[in-house]
Amino acid sequence: MNTKSFFTLVERETWEHRGLVWVPVITAALIVLAAIISSNVSGSIRLDVELDGESSAFFAQLATDEVAQARLFSIWMGSIGLPVLVITIIVLFFYLLDALYAERKDRSILFWKSMPVSDSATVLSKLFTSMVAIPLWVWAVSLVMGLLTFLIIALKVSGTPIAPLGKFHLGAWLVLQVTLLQNLLLASLWYAPIAGWLLLVSVWAKRAPFLWAVLPPALVMLFEEIIFNTEHVAYLIGYRLTHYFESASMGFNVETGAGSQVIFDSIKNTYEGMSAASLLAEPHLYSGLAVAAIFVLLAIRLRRWRDDA
Amino acid sequence: MTDAVIVAKDLRKHYGKQAVALDGVSFTVGRGRIVGLMGPNGAGKTTALKAILGLTPFEGHLDVLGRDPRRERDSLMQDVCFIADVAVLPKWLRVSDAIDYVAGVHPRFDRARADAVLARTEIRRRSKVGELSKGMITQLHLALIMAIDAKLLVLDEPTLGLDLLYRRAFYETLLNDYFDHERTILVTTHQVEEIENLLTDVLLINHGRIVLDSAIDDLPSRFVQLIANGESREAARRLGPIYEREVFGRTAFVFEGREAAELAALGEIRTPSVADLFVAKMAGSAS
Repeated sequence: MNTKSFFTLVERETWEHRGLVWVPVITAALIVLAAIISSNVSGSIRLDVELDGESSAFFAQLATDEVAQARLFSIWMGSIGLPVLVITIIVLFFYLLDALYAERKDRSILFWKSMPVSDSATVLSKLFTSMVAIPLWVWAVSLVMGLLTFLIIALKVSGTPIAPLGKFHLGAWLVLQVTLLQNLLLASLWYAPIAGWLLLVSVWAKRAPFLWAVLPPALVMLFEEIIFNTEHVAYLIGYRLTHYFESASMGFNVETGAGSQVIFDSIKNTYEGMSAASLLAEPHLYSGLAVAAIFVLLAIRLRRWRDDA
Repeated sequence: MTDAVIVAKDLRKHYGKQAVALDGVSFTVGRGRIVGLMGPNGAGKTTALKAILGLTPFEGHLDVLGRDPRRERDSLMQDVCFIADVAVLPKWLRVSDAIDYVAGVHPRFDRARADAVLARTEIRRRSKVGELSKGMITQLHLALIMAIDAKLLVLDEPTLGLDLLYRRAFYETLLNDYFDHERTILVTTHQVEEIENLLTDVLLINHGRIVLDSAIDDLPSRFVQLIANGESREAARRLGPIYEREVFGRTAFVFEGREAAELAALGEIRTPSVADLFVAKMAGSAS
């Protein structure tokens, strides 16, 4: 198996699961569309903004502070791709469940097995698609979408009191893109055990892979609760599901009604949390990877003797 | 046969406790042969093919192109191709993508050859498999397989569900454009009459055992069919036919290991067809 063959296997995944390619694009397009049609357009393309006292103070302060401007720019450019990521994660969930199940259901497994492609290459190509290829694609789509949205917003705010929002900060943008790319790959590593579990269920289930993926963990949680009255498994799974987003969160959390100075300081101080690199220092990342490796090895072994019989 | 492509010794496989699929199967397939593996449903044909293709575990010794399919399947598939059934190409696959796929993963694939075979059909490149007729899907599959320079081609009921025209065209293309006396073909089918002319060897299997293993050229010296009537029927029965049946008031006997000369006096002598032997052997080995 050389690089070209492996690339063909990844390409094959996008033929079968076209949603992997198109869902991020369509979601991104909807965000751009929302930016175009949203807000109060008053005859012209420009926004009709009227600021109250607090907001005026905020934007007055922002106009004089380059650093705060760059931070605010990074925060909104960094968050705007979030819907694309969340929806792609849902698509990836169903993709992984289907990846080694559909080939048995439509009996095409015997065609794939008639080619000189090992079970490891097959399973790894699907894992690679979900953990590397599609995250890279999401990153690229979000990058273009971010630029388009920025252009639209910049046109809308120019000449209004919130014009500082329309300034492009190249340095901050470059740092942001590197951070986002790094975060996506960290998310892949963090969620690898879930990807491995879904592939394992996908190769193993004779029918209803969704139920096989979801019910056993749910039952284990239930029995633990009933028998031991503890919630370790539930905690472990909940932690796995949510902790990535906690790590990558900007911690931008301002109560409604807070004064403009509080918001302003918040913007300036909390953006640093956007990188999820702190995950690299967590033992849970590595124990998760070990579990993922076990699931993937089992999936490869199980596919060896799996066919339509 | 010095140049053996497949050597099977005492293959055994059972599903659960009762169902025995292979019950000590041994045979050898030489290079450049076209072997028909035939038997009734559930005889063990498909299990034998799956063992050869490394798709199922089994007991016994099996050597395919010098490799054990259980352990060396990945390298074996460089030299072996198979068509398992007509339905295995997935519906979502585009014809042009199917070619790109095989070109991408198979080091011995010749794209120009696949294009040439496809050009003789009405299959369009932009079509998806789900839009093609059953006959066209088989044509596409055959075009892909024929463009691979494999040493062994395994066909399991390749023409199942196709009409006569497609079936005939399938075997004609295979024989004229693919087979070159270096390659080896192993084929299973229920349509015995249609392929017996192109076989060089026949393997009959029943209840997981080989009941006939012969070169087609050797059949006349091993088997004789006698069509007899009246008195000579009793005389024929005393010579121990392996099978008899009524044909338009006369009786057709099949003998194994008898000289044609000693039977000639009793009636009309012929070499039985593979289909006749199939029926004779299946009746003889019924349990």
